[in-house]
Amino acid sequence: MSLRLKLLLLGLATLVLPWGGCRYAREMESALREGEANSLQAVSQTIAASLQGRTDLLYRAPPPPADAADEPRPDSGAQQATAEAFDKPGPDDLEPLALTAAPLLDGYGDDWPHEPGAWANFRKDDHHRFALLSGVYERMLYVLLDVHDEHPLYDAPGTNTLDAATFGDRVWLGFDDAEGEQHQVFISATGPGSVSARRIESGEYGQRSAPVEPRIRGAWQPTRDGYRIELRVPLSMIGRSFGILVDDRDARGAAPVSYGTLRSDDLHTLGRLIVASPELSPYLTQFLQPGLKLAVSSPAGRVLARADALAQPLTLARETAILASLYRRFVDRPGERQVLESTAPVYDRDHAAVIGSLEVTQTADHWIRLRDHALTRMLTFTLATSLVAVVAMFAFAAWLALRLARLRSASESALTRSGLVTSFPETAARDELGDVARSFSTLLARLNEYTSYLRTLAGKLAHEIRTPLTIVRSSLDNLDSEPVGEAARAYLTRARQGSERLNAILLAMGAATRVEEAIGGAERVTFDLVPVLGSAVAAYRGAFPGREFLAELPADPVSLNGAPDLIVQLLDKLIDNAVDFSPAGARLTVRLRLEPQAAVIEVENPGPPLPLHVEGRLFESLWQSRPDGDSRPHFGLGLYIVRLIAEFHGGEAAARNLPDGSGVRISARLAR
Amino acid sequence: MKRLIAIVEDEAALRDNYAAAFARDGFAVRGYANRAQALAAFATRLPDLAIIDISLEDEPEGGFELCRQLRAMSAELPIIFLTARDSELDAVSGLRLGADDFLTKDLSLAHLAARVHALFRRVDALRKPESAEELLRRGALTLDAERMQAQWDGQVVLLSLTEFWIVHALARHPGHVRNRQQLMDAANVVLDDNTITSHVKRIRRKFQALDPVFDALQTVYGMGYRWVE
Repeated sequence: MSLRLKLLLLGLATLVLPWGGCRYAREMESALREGEANSLQAVSQTIAASLQGRTDLLYRAPPPPADAADEPRPDSGAQQATAEAFDKPGPDDLEPLALTAAPLLDGYGDDWPHEPGAWANFRKDDHHRFALLSGVYERMLYVLLDVHDEHPLYDAPGTNTLDAATFGDRVWLGFDDAEGEQHQVFISATGPGSVSARRIESGEYGQRSAPVEPRIRGAWQPTRDGYRIELRVPLSMIGRSFGILVDDRDARGAAPVSYGTLRSDDLHTLGRLIVASPELSPYLTQFLQPGLKLAVSSPAGRVLARADALAQPLTLARETAILASLYRRFVDRPGERQVLESTAPVYDRDHAAVIGSLEVTQTADHWIRLRDHALTRMLTFTLATSLVAVVAMFAFAAWLALRLARLRSASESALTRSGLVTSFPETAARDELGDVARSFSTLLARLNEYTSYLRTLAGKLAHEIRTPLTIVRSSLDNLDSEPVGEAARAYLTRARQGSERLNAILLAMGAATRVEEAIGGAERVTFDLVPVLGSAVAAYRGAFPGREFLAELPADPVSLNGAPDLIVQLLDKLIDNAVDFSPAGARLTVRLRLEPQAAVIEVENPGPPLPLHVEGRLFESLWQSRPDGDSRPHFGLGLYIVRLIAEFHGGEAAARNLPDGSGVRISARLAR
Repeated sequence: MKRLIAIVEDEAALRDNYAAAFARDGFAVRGYANRAQALAAFATRLPDLAIIDISLEDEPEGGFELCRQLRAMSAELPIIFLTARDSELDAVSGLRLGADDFLTKDLSLAHLAARVHALFRRVDALRKPESAEELLRRGALTLDAERMQAQWDGQVVLLSLTEFWIVHALARHPGHVRNRQQLMDAANVVLDDNTITSHVKRIRRKFQALDPVFDALQTVYGMGYRWVE
């Protein structure tokens, strides 16, 4: 993995910032929510406190009687009367729903809210029962009555409604008025459809009539197991109590089975009608804000009034929809409720009894928007930060990698040039890389010194050894003239052979120095390379009878600016090398190959391939890889001289194994 | 009267060996370890031949200085540099100062003796009138083997002893290629190839100084050299 990639990955680690931001936003949201819940609680308690003891505001009470003295109840009667309204409702009490729309008076219940718990059931036995659903909307009491009747029976059509013999099933409504006087109306039908209520009045002479009560409207529809009546009664007609009695007849004129919430003998009301005060809803509305819902319930849990602005849109700046939805996916837990609720009890004046409860609901939209807004900004900032960090790190890594690459290539080339370091990059940098470069530079400089010391060592050594060797040789020369015994002469001969060998070694050791000198003093002439090589190869044929020579030279002249003596010396060394490493009788190829800018002299010899590790070092001074058993003095200078001469001609020397592995090709490139 | 050879050499063992060898050959030999000693002796009597080392005790270039002073004393005195220093620069410097030959110490005593005899022969020849039969003429080249003198178009070419012997070996059989070993044998030296090459170059340069189009000494690449008329 490259440094660049590593730093890029490191840069990607800054992406933890948005993640942390999301975590933080979630924390923030829950804190916000808690605060919101607290404030909502405070709001609900405040509103509840404002309602404390305001039973008149909570519950509908009949207007006070015009003559209070006629009122049979004590002064605090109104208080008590209303106080009993929030007592635990009895089975006969009617607690209508707070309807949000007026049901259509058609005898069908499908436009009523679906609230199974709101139905009140009355039963006498298995065959006589009804279910009652009531509701209030705009000062009207709506009643949905579902009567179970195995034999629904209409009044005989076209008959006097007071003729008992014609009576079918009837439903009595009983209620008191504002003065507490009891009233009853009955509802009968001669067929499905709209119905009206009639009240029974006694005339002056005991004459009874049943005039229609026009304020009460309704509809009668048969059902699968009985019939259903939907009624509307203005609340203004009703005082505090309300009741319904069903007269179930199995035949016209038969004695009815009566059951319901009216006393069956005098049809007196048994239960109360617990309805919110008409002022309650406007009172709640004044606290209303968009996204808020207020509801006041009776102690029994029946909603008396509500003010609802939950669905109203909030006026907050819209965020980018895609981003917002993305963040929501990030942050929100699925199935989470997006509303806050708070409930506060409403107490009576003495703070002794609960007269109702206030429920405040607030949508989460508000703080979700707030959170989304914050989150959007934070995500944008952190993403931008991450991006900048990644880009910066990448750029830095690229720069670093570039410098390292320069350092690397410099060190590589420095090594291949056998320590001849001219300049090293990055040495001026003040950072650690500069330190590395400087120590590299120092190291290479020392290496260079050492290498040049090694290179000149042979020459220096040869020079130092020459004088003592001359003493030995001249002494031996003198000894030749002295009379010595036959046995001593043998030793003398050996001493002379040894000293001659030593001399040869000294000559070889000084060869590189002399070649360098010769190169230094060489004169460049422009000459044709082909005849020079041709004549040299001809000479080798004579000099090395044990080898076969093949010259592959171009037919046309190849002019070269250089020193022909040196070129021949170069070829000498290549041939020496090729002869040393090839078996007897081998064929050596001398080739002159032309390149656009260079002439390449190649010498190929069959023989053992080059060891893998030597390629670069082959042309170094004092390096040698000789076949075993070769006792001639060698200092690995041959190919070093080749290199020196090739470099003098603006080229280089290279050694490669032949593609088929049968031998070695050493080439010297000479710039033309 | 024996000829006197002065050996200026700071290495006592070497000096004594050379002295012994020359004494055996019938020469009188005086050895000096440094320039001061040598100059003091030369002020009294000049030797017939001087063999000088370049570095003398504490003077690394003392031999050169001595050579110049000696040459100033006598124009004819044969002077041989015999040194461990074998660089081209030293050889050129030594020969410019008027030395007759520049030899490295790996020369055998026999080779050295051959040179000494040759130089004395030359001294003798210079005192005698010129004899025509000793002359070797090859076109513009005239070689006087006795006086070891070369002329090109009648002008004297100042060659060192080694150089003269190389030219002589080549010019005796014009057109024949002489390889480096043959040239070394002819010049009574043991040199390596590069030294032969630089000798040849020096010879060419000396001829070219007289005749810019001189091209008689040719290189036969890979084999050696030949003289063409």
